[in-house]
Amino acid sequence: MKNFMYKSGMLALFAGVLLTSCDPEIDGTAPSKGDINLEKYVAVGNSLTAGYQDRGLYREAQLNSYPAILAQQFKLVGGGEFTQPLFEESQASGSGYLTFADFINGRPVIKPVPGAAVREGTTLPGGPALTKYTQPVQNLGVPGISVLTSAMKEYGAINPYYERLLEPAEVGTKPYFQEVAESNPTFFTMWLGNNDVLGYATDGGAPASPLSNLTDPAMFGNIYKNMVATLTANDAKGVLITIPNVTAVPFFTTVPYNALALTRQGQADSLNAAYGSGALGITFKVGPNPLVVSDPSVPARVRQIKSTEYVLLTALDSIAARGYGSKKPLPDKFFLDETEVKEIMEHTVAFNDIIRATAKDKGLAMWDANAFFESIKGGFKLDEVTYAPVFVTGNLFSLDGIHPTPRGYAIVANELIKTINSTYKANVPTVDVTQYRAIQFPGK
Amino acid sequence: MKSRILALLGGTLLSASAMAGGYQVNLASQRQIGMGHTGTGIQTGTSSIFFNPGAMSYLQENGVTIGASALVSKIAYRALEPGTAEAEVDNPVKTPFQVYAVYGINDKLKAGIGVYTPFGSTVRWGDEWPGRFGLNELSLQAIFVQPTLSYQITDKLGVGAGLVLAFGSVNLQKTLPVQGQNGQEGKIELDGGANTAFGFNAGIFFKPSDKLSLGLNYRSEVKMELENGDVTFSNIPAAASGNFQPGTQFSASLPMPATLSFGVGFTPTERLTLAADISRVSWSAYERLQFDFTKPVAGNTSSVNERNYEDAFIYRIGAEYMVTDALALRGGAYLDKTPVQDGYLTPETPDADSRGLSVGLGYTISDNISLDASFLYINKKERTDLANKSNGIGGTFKSIAYIPGVGLNFSF
Repeated sequence: MKNFMYKSGMLALFAGVLLTSCDPEIDGTAPSKGDINLEKYVAVGNSLTAGYQDRGLYREAQLNSYPAILAQQFKLVGGGEFTQPLFEESQASGSGYLTFADFINGRPVIKPVPGAAVREGTTLPGGPALTKYTQPVQNLGVPGISVLTSAMKEYGAINPYYERLLEPAEVGTKPYFQEVAESNPTFFTMWLGNNDVLGYATDGGAPASPLSNLTDPAMFGNIYKNMVATLTANDAKGVLITIPNVTAVPFFTTVPYNALALTRQGQADSLNAAYGSGALGITFKVGPNPLVVSDPSVPARVRQIKSTEYVLLTALDSIAARGYGSKKPLPDKFFLDETEVKEIMEHTVAFNDIIRATAKDKGLAMWDANAFFESIKGGFKLDEVTYAPVFVTGNLFSLDGIHPTPRGYAIVANELIKTINSTYKANVPTVDVTQYRAIQFPGK
Repeated sequence: MKSRILALLGGTLLSASAMAGGYQVNLASQRQIGMGHTGTGIQTGTSSIFFNPGAMSYLQENGVTIGASALVSKIAYRALEPGTAEAEVDNPVKTPFQVYAVYGINDKLKAGIGVYTPFGSTVRWGDEWPGRFGLNELSLQAIFVQPTLSYQITDKLGVGAGLVLAFGSVNLQKTLPVQGQNGQEGKIELDGGANTAFGFNAGIFFKPSDKLSLGLNYRSEVKMELENGDVTFSNIPAAASGNFQPGTQFSASLPMPATLSFGVGFTPTERLTLAADISRVSWSAYERLQFDFTKPVAGNTSSVNERNYEDAFIYRIGAEYMVTDALALRGGAYLDKTPVQDGYLTPETPDADSRGLSVGLGYTISDNISLDASFLYINKKERTDLANKSNGIGGTFKSIAYIPGVGLNFSF
């Protein structure tokens, strides 16, 4: 019996040692770059390309930009180095950004973090100047830039994000268009044109600057096609990206038109009295009511907002804490009226038509970001996490309600990789998006 | 009470890993594991309590059997193409066990009791893999106690039935998609013991000749009900704490499905026994996994995930050859079809059609002591699933297991 026990014991031990070394393995398809040359990838675009989020550009945001994620994945199939105009670690807060400080009465309290890369004493029309980064870069994302302004040589003296990339002699003399033309990529992405509608939209259709008006589609098409022509001059391949509808982002969808909640009849009575007891066509009742907005085009100069109009995220505090939208009408810059919405939609459609046609014309890949964001309006589930274009809790959008979180950018990068793979017969690996953060909540 | 019984029976002994279809664990006898876990249509000794109570009446002597297996299971994960994220479980070695005792009241009537672990699952993916919001780890434990009577109606026909008392517990941990400014992600842990549940195990054994035997066995469904289980949250940032309240409790239920088996035994020579079984497991009882909470968790008072298992068959063959009067060599194989439909794969039971190969040996030391040793290798088919219907984790999963075991038989 002892012998049997010893033998079977040894056998079990032997089997154990043998077998722990036999782990199950799953073979994937080999990564490949397909028909493209990824030696020099250049990213052309605006804030989305720069990695901008939480209403600022800062080091962590830059490190998680979709071009940085793409370049990292390109390296797995032989892609080259990728340089971004990173803020130094000592100036990591970059331009400054918003942080989530508290959550009170269901409303996030958001506070600014000051920018450490601000150049003291120099202020441009577009904001304080930022620490220079004049070595050649491949992430040419310039927050705020539009197709229109990309052709203006003066723009370097206006936009601090562009100014920081330029040598002093180039400021005010070198248009972004030329910077792009000199980048000489073997592969590129171009996500430009958002600001040809977005500036107008975020200003509530009352642009604060002439540069944030709606761009004329003919001019847009002219500049856009020329820029793509310079990028493809050396037979470079790339991806053109369409412009999502502004109504797909939380900045325009967080505050509902009927955000005026009245809980007591007394509140309704007093508001009814304040607005002429119905004489102005404005009435209030207990429950949700349309906000009161100022509109110089109607005789009373005030009216209630329509369900087809959009209140901006920036109005949230004014409505919740300062009585706007009820006793005080909400100013024009805080909402998009029907006419403005229509204009924005029409321009978005026209610009996207140009982008699609250019991609087709040049034989380039096209990622339809507009279709993508349209398709996820109702949210989606990925690896048991729910994502939706919902402010703070939707995991996709940062605290400014327009730009993605690192997780959101990673999802964008994966969509781009899928587009690249299918267009160029490549097999670039996607990333594990759960390794990128969403909104981080305050408090221990 | 039920949790005390579990504690008395010895914590880690209780659980097994999901290494059969779904979360069924077919490791009921060391001799039978060696024979591909056949046993419905042959006399298996005291373990007939499990395999076919109808055959128990044929036992010539009183006997006690104790046995246990060491279950080493490994599961690999790879993200859906073109993703390349990989993960592998770090499952603890589990020890499913069995104890059977049979006493002859008279020549025809035998009484017995069995304690065994026919269901369970332990998977530990950890809190870093891409599917952590689906599962960090799950430990599902069930122990069945089965007092049984068996009566030999004629030389050729025996019947038997036992009452099953089932005790169980579950512990499930996952990461919550809420992150603090320190970068830590929240976690939820569900922990609870099941109410004592009941079922039965009945069988008919028919031996038309010396060389041929047949058996039919039905093990009923046992429904595990959990009430007042504890929900514990950790690493929840203060700003999100309203969504995850302390003192939350949960209830849930999980079916341990019925199994109907038919088996044939054939002994062409005195030294050789051949056996074949076919089982139908009524997995369709497992429609959804639902947790109901006493306070809303992230705004929901329940979490419902569709499972929609389908009934599945298991096909088994096995053989035993007596090399000498004392030494038996065994071998067997089986195919265990998965109950998990496409679109419903989950990281708790990343199931696929399962192939089992086994070897075993038996050694008789004296008139009343014998030993069994078994070794079972399980290889599940690599399976890629979008998991889009179960709200699971899409990807490719591959499972294998190595299960050595030993058993000791006394007869008197």
